[in-house]
Amino acid sequence: MKSATLPDEIRPVLENGIPAVMVTCSAEGIPNVTVISQVYYVDEHHAALSFQFFSKTIQNVRENPYAYVCVSDLVNRREWILQLIFQRSETEGPTFDAMDMQIEAIASATGMSGIFKLRGADIYRVLSVEDFTYGNPMPGA
Amino acid sequence: MTALVVGHFTSDLVNSLEDNGEFALTIEEFPSHETYQFKGRYLSHRPVQAPDLEVVDRIRARFVQAVRQIYVDAPDYILNAYIQPAVLAVEFEVREIFLQTPGPGAGSRLVPRVEPS
Repeated sequence: MKSATLPDEIRPVLENGIPAVMVTCSAEGIPNVTVISQVYYVDEHHAALSFQFFSKTIQNVRENPYAYVCVSDLVNRREWILQLIFQRSETEGPTFDAMDMQIEAIASATGMSGIFKLRGADIYRVLSVEDFTYGNPMPGA
Repeated sequence: MTALVVGHFTSDLVNSLEDNGEFALTIEEFPSHETYQFKGRYLSHRPVQAPDLEVVDRIRARFVQAVRQIYVDAPDYILNAYIQPAVLAVEFEVREIFLQTPGPGAGSRLVPRVEPS
Protein backbone atom coordinates (compact mmCIF):
# COMPACT_ATOMS: atom_id res chain seq x y z
CA MET A 1 0.00 0.00 0.00
CA LYS A 2 1.19 3.53 -0.81
CA SER A 3 2.49 5.32 2.27
CA ALA A 4 4.01 8.71 3.07
CA THR A 5 5.87 10.24 5.96
CA LEU A 6 4.61 13.23 7.91
CA PRO A 7 7.52 15.74 7.99
CA ASP A 8 8.58 17.19 11.33
CA GLU A 9 7.68 20.69 10.14
CA ILE A 10 3.99 19.77 9.98
CA ARG A 11 3.79 18.92 13.69
CA PRO A 12 3.39 22.51 14.96
CA VAL A 13 0.80 23.10 12.23
CA LEU A 14 -1.28 20.19 13.53
CA GLU A 15 -1.13 21.74 17.00
CA ASN A 16 -1.87 25.35 16.08
CA GLY A 17 -5.59 25.15 16.91
CA ILE A 18 -6.73 26.33 13.47
CA PRO A 19 -9.63 24.19 12.26
CA ALA A 20 -8.84 21.78 9.42
CA VAL A 21 -11.01 20.88 6.43
CA MET A 22 -11.80 17.23 5.79
CA VAL A 23 -13.20 15.80 2.56
CA THR A 24 -14.66 12.32 2.18
CA CYS A 25 -16.76 10.63 -0.47
CA SER A 26 -19.56 8.10 -0.19
CA ALA A 27 -19.47 4.82 -2.07
CA GLU A 28 -21.89 6.43 -4.57
CA GLY A 29 -19.45 9.29 -5.23
CA ILE A 30 -21.21 12.03 -3.24
CA PRO A 31 -18.56 14.30 -1.64
CA ASN A 32 -18.79 15.62 1.90
CA VAL A 33 -16.74 18.47 3.29
CA THR A 34 -16.56 19.38 6.94
CA VAL A 35 -14.55 21.50 9.33
CA ILE A 36 -12.77 19.56 12.06
CA SER A 37 -11.12 20.94 15.14
CA GLN A 38 -8.20 18.58 15.47
CA VAL A 39 -5.71 16.50 13.48
CA TYR A 40 -3.50 14.57 15.88
CA TYR A 41 0.02 13.34 15.06
CA VAL A 42 0.22 9.65 16.04
CA ASP A 43 3.52 8.75 14.40
CA GLU A 44 5.32 9.58 11.15
CA HIS A 45 2.92 7.44 9.12
CA HIS A 46 -0.36 7.94 11.00
CA ALA A 47 -2.69 10.76 12.00
CA ALA A 48 -5.82 10.62 14.15
CA LEU A 49 -8.95 12.65 13.53
CA SER A 50 -11.51 13.43 16.16
CA PHE A 51 -14.85 11.70 15.76
CA GLN A 52 -17.37 14.07 17.37
CA PHE A 53 -20.64 14.69 15.56
CA PHE A 54 -20.00 14.53 11.83
CA SER A 55 -21.95 11.39 11.14
CA LYS A 56 -21.82 11.65 7.35
CA THR A 57 -18.02 11.72 7.47
CA ILE A 58 -17.97 8.71 9.76
CA GLN A 59 -20.42 6.87 7.50
CA ASN A 60 -18.39 7.75 4.39
CA VAL A 61 -15.00 6.59 5.65
CA ARG A 62 -16.47 3.31 6.76
CA GLU A 63 -17.79 2.60 3.25
CA ASN A 64 -15.00 4.40 1.32
CA PRO A 65 -11.90 4.74 3.54
CA TYR A 66 -10.12 7.49 1.61
CA ALA A 67 -10.08 11.07 2.92
CA TYR A 68 -8.32 14.36 2.31
CA VAL A 69 -7.46 16.79 5.07
CA CYS A 70 -6.21 20.35 4.62
CA VAL A 71 -4.41 22.02 7.52
CA SER A 72 -3.36 25.66 7.57
CA ASP A 73 -0.15 27.25 8.71
CA LEU A 74 -1.36 30.81 9.07
CA VAL A 75 1.97 32.29 10.13
CA ASN A 76 3.95 30.86 7.21
CA ARG A 77 1.04 31.18 4.74
CA ARG A 78 1.24 27.51 3.89
CA GLU A 79 -1.41 24.83 3.46
CA TRP A 80 -0.81 21.11 3.78
CA ILE A 81 -3.00 18.54 2.09
CA LEU A 82 -2.89 15.00 3.43
CA GLN A 83 -4.39 12.02 1.66
CA LEU A 84 -5.40 9.47 4.26
CA ILE A 85 -6.92 6.02 4.52
CA PHE A 86 -9.04 5.04 7.51
CA GLN A 87 -7.72 2.13 9.56
CA ARG A 88 -9.59 1.90 12.88
CA SER A 89 -11.35 3.85 15.61
CA GLU A 90 -10.09 3.93 19.19
CA THR A 91 -12.27 4.85 22.17
CA GLU A 92 -9.60 4.48 24.84
CA GLY A 93 -5.83 4.48 25.21
CA PRO A 94 -3.10 7.11 25.04
CA THR A 95 -4.08 8.60 21.66
CA PHE A 96 -7.73 8.93 22.70
CA ASP A 97 -6.81 10.43 26.08
CA ALA A 98 -4.39 12.95 24.56
CA MET A 99 -6.93 14.01 21.92
CA ASP A 100 -9.67 14.29 24.53
CA MET A 101 -7.53 16.64 26.61
CA GLN A 102 -6.51 18.70 23.57
CA ILE A 103 -10.07 19.00 22.31
CA GLU A 104 -11.28 20.27 25.66
CA ALA A 105 -8.57 22.94 25.52
CA ILE A 106 -9.67 23.93 22.00
CA ALA A 107 -13.31 23.99 23.09
CA SER A 108 -12.50 26.15 26.06
CA ALA A 109 -10.47 28.59 23.93
CA THR A 110 -13.22 28.91 21.32
CA GLY A 111 -16.24 29.10 23.61
CA MET A 112 -17.44 25.60 22.73
CA SER A 113 -16.99 23.87 26.09
CA GLY A 114 -19.61 21.18 26.61
CA ILE A 115 -20.32 21.01 22.85
CA PHE A 116 -17.08 19.50 21.53
CA LYS A 117 -17.04 15.92 22.78
CA LEU A 118 -14.68 13.23 21.59
CA ARG A 119 -16.44 9.97 20.79
CA GLY A 120 -13.52 8.27 19.10
CA ALA A 121 -10.01 8.76 17.80
CA ASP A 122 -10.10 7.63 14.18
CA ILE A 123 -6.68 6.41 13.08
CA TYR A 124 -5.62 6.99 9.47
CA ARG A 125 -2.52 5.97 7.52
CA VAL A 126 -0.95 8.85 5.56
CA LEU A 127 -0.88 8.12 1.81
CA SER A 128 0.50 11.42 0.53
CA VAL A 129 1.55 14.86 1.74
CA GLU A 130 1.48 18.03 -0.39
CA ASP A 131 2.07 21.62 0.62
CA PHE A 132 1.42 24.98 -0.98
CA THR A 133 2.69 28.41 -0.03
CA TYR A 134 0.30 31.26 -0.71
CA GLY A 135 0.07 35.00 -0.35
CA ASN A 136 2.61 37.76 -0.63
CA PRO A 137 5.93 37.50 1.15
CA MET A 138 6.28 39.11 4.55
CA PRO A 139 6.79 42.88 4.24
CA GLY A 140 10.50 43.66 4.20
CA ALA A 141 11.49 40.04 3.55
CA MET B 1 -24.57 29.20 -6.49
CA THR B 2 -21.06 30.17 -7.54
CA ALA B 3 -17.97 28.91 -5.70
CA LEU B 4 -14.74 30.86 -6.15
CA VAL B 5 -11.81 28.45 -5.96
CA VAL B 6 -8.13 29.21 -5.30
CA GLY B 7 -5.46 27.94 -7.68
CA HIS B 8 -3.98 25.02 -5.81
CA PHE B 9 -7.37 23.30 -5.43
CA THR B 10 -8.18 23.36 -9.13
CA SER B 11 -5.79 20.74 -10.57
CA ASP B 12 -8.21 17.78 -10.59
CA LEU B 13 -11.38 19.67 -9.81
CA VAL B 14 -12.79 20.17 -13.29
CA ASN B 15 -11.98 16.59 -14.34
CA SER B 16 -13.77 15.28 -11.25
CA LEU B 17 -16.77 17.52 -11.79
CA GLU B 18 -17.04 16.50 -15.42
CA ASP B 19 -16.74 12.87 -14.32
CA ASN B 20 -19.62 12.64 -11.86
CA GLY B 21 -20.95 16.20 -11.43
CA GLU B 22 -21.25 16.02 -7.63
CA PHE B 23 -20.21 19.12 -5.71
CA ALA B 24 -20.09 19.99 -1.99
CA LEU B 25 -19.29 23.35 -0.43
CA THR B 26 -19.02 24.17 3.27
CA ILE B 27 -19.04 27.67 4.73
CA GLU B 28 -18.27 28.60 8.33
CA GLU B 29 -18.63 31.84 10.23
CA PHE B 30 -15.98 32.71 12.81
CA PRO B 31 -15.96 32.90 15.74
CA SER B 32 -19.54 31.62 16.08
CA HIS B 33 -18.77 28.35 14.18
CA GLU B 34 -22.15 28.64 12.43
CA THR B 35 -21.64 26.25 9.51
CA TYR B 36 -23.61 25.07 6.50
CA GLN B 37 -22.90 22.59 3.73
CA PHE B 38 -24.36 22.91 0.25
CA LYS B 39 -24.52 19.88 -2.02
CA GLY B 40 -25.53 19.87 -5.62
CA ARG B 41 -24.79 19.30 -9.26
CA TYR B 42 -22.03 20.97 -11.25
CA LEU B 43 -23.26 23.22 -14.04
CA SER B 44 -20.23 25.03 -15.46
CA HIS B 45 -16.92 26.67 -14.72
CA ARG B 46 -15.11 29.77 -15.93
CA PRO B 47 -12.09 31.92 -15.06
CA VAL B 48 -12.85 34.50 -12.38
CA GLN B 49 -13.71 38.03 -13.47
CA ALA B 50 -13.24 41.42 -11.81
CA PRO B 51 -16.61 41.33 -9.96
CA ASP B 52 -15.67 37.90 -8.51
CA LEU B 53 -12.42 39.30 -7.15
CA GLU B 54 -14.33 42.18 -5.55
CA VAL B 55 -16.46 39.55 -3.77
CA VAL B 56 -13.27 37.83 -2.54
CA ASP B 57 -11.97 41.18 -1.28
CA ARG B 58 -15.18 41.76 0.70
CA ILE B 59 -15.05 38.23 2.15
CA ARG B 60 -11.41 38.75 3.10
CA ALA B 61 -12.19 42.00 4.92
CA ARG B 62 -15.07 40.34 6.80
CA PHE B 63 -12.91 37.32 7.67
CA VAL B 64 -10.08 39.47 9.03
CA GLN B 65 -12.53 41.47 11.14
CA ALA B 66 -13.99 38.25 12.56
CA VAL B 67 -10.76 36.41 13.36
CA ARG B 68 -9.14 39.54 14.77
CA GLN B 69 -11.13 38.79 17.95
CA ILE B 70 -9.13 35.55 18.32
CA TYR B 71 -5.78 36.52 16.78
CA VAL B 72 -5.53 39.89 18.47
CA ASP B 73 -1.82 40.40 17.78
CA ALA B 74 -1.56 38.79 14.33
CA PRO B 75 -0.27 41.16 11.64
CA ASP B 76 -2.80 42.16 9.01
CA TYR B 77 -0.76 40.68 6.16
CA ILE B 78 -0.97 37.20 7.71
CA LEU B 79 -4.73 37.32 8.21
CA ASN B 80 -5.29 38.89 4.79
CA ALA B 81 -3.20 36.23 3.07
CA TYR B 82 -5.42 33.46 4.41
CA ILE B 83 -8.22 34.39 1.98
CA GLN B 84 -6.40 33.83 -1.27
CA PRO B 85 -7.29 35.23 -4.69
CA ALA B 86 -9.61 32.91 -6.57
CA VAL B 87 -8.82 31.76 -10.12
CA LEU B 88 -11.84 29.62 -11.00
CA ALA B 89 -15.58 30.14 -10.62
CA VAL B 90 -17.66 26.95 -10.40
CA GLU B 91 -21.40 27.23 -10.79
CA PHE B 92 -23.58 24.52 -9.34
CA GLU B 93 -27.23 23.86 -8.68
CA VAL B 94 -27.90 23.43 -4.97
CA ARG B 95 -29.83 20.25 -4.23
CA GLU B 96 -29.48 20.03 -0.45
CA ILE B 97 -28.40 22.23 2.46
CA PHE B 98 -27.18 20.74 5.74
CA LEU B 99 -26.57 22.32 9.12
CA GLN B 100 -22.99 21.66 10.27
CA THR B 101 -22.68 23.98 13.23
CA PRO B 102 -21.00 21.93 15.98
CA GLY B 103 -23.61 20.51 18.31
CA PRO B 104 -26.41 17.98 18.44
CA GLY B 105 -28.05 19.23 15.22
CA ALA B 106 -24.88 18.89 13.13
CA GLY B 107 -25.51 16.94 9.95
CA SER B 108 -29.25 17.54 9.85
CA ARG B 109 -30.72 18.47 6.48
CA LEU B 110 -32.37 21.87 6.27
CA VAL B 111 -33.32 21.86 2.56
CA PRO B 112 -35.33 19.99 1.38
CA ARG B 113 -36.94 19.96 4.79
CA VAL B 114 -37.09 16.57 6.44
CA GLU B 115 -40.70 15.85 7.32
CA PRO B 116 -41.20 14.37 10.78
CA SER B 117 -42.08 10.69 10.54
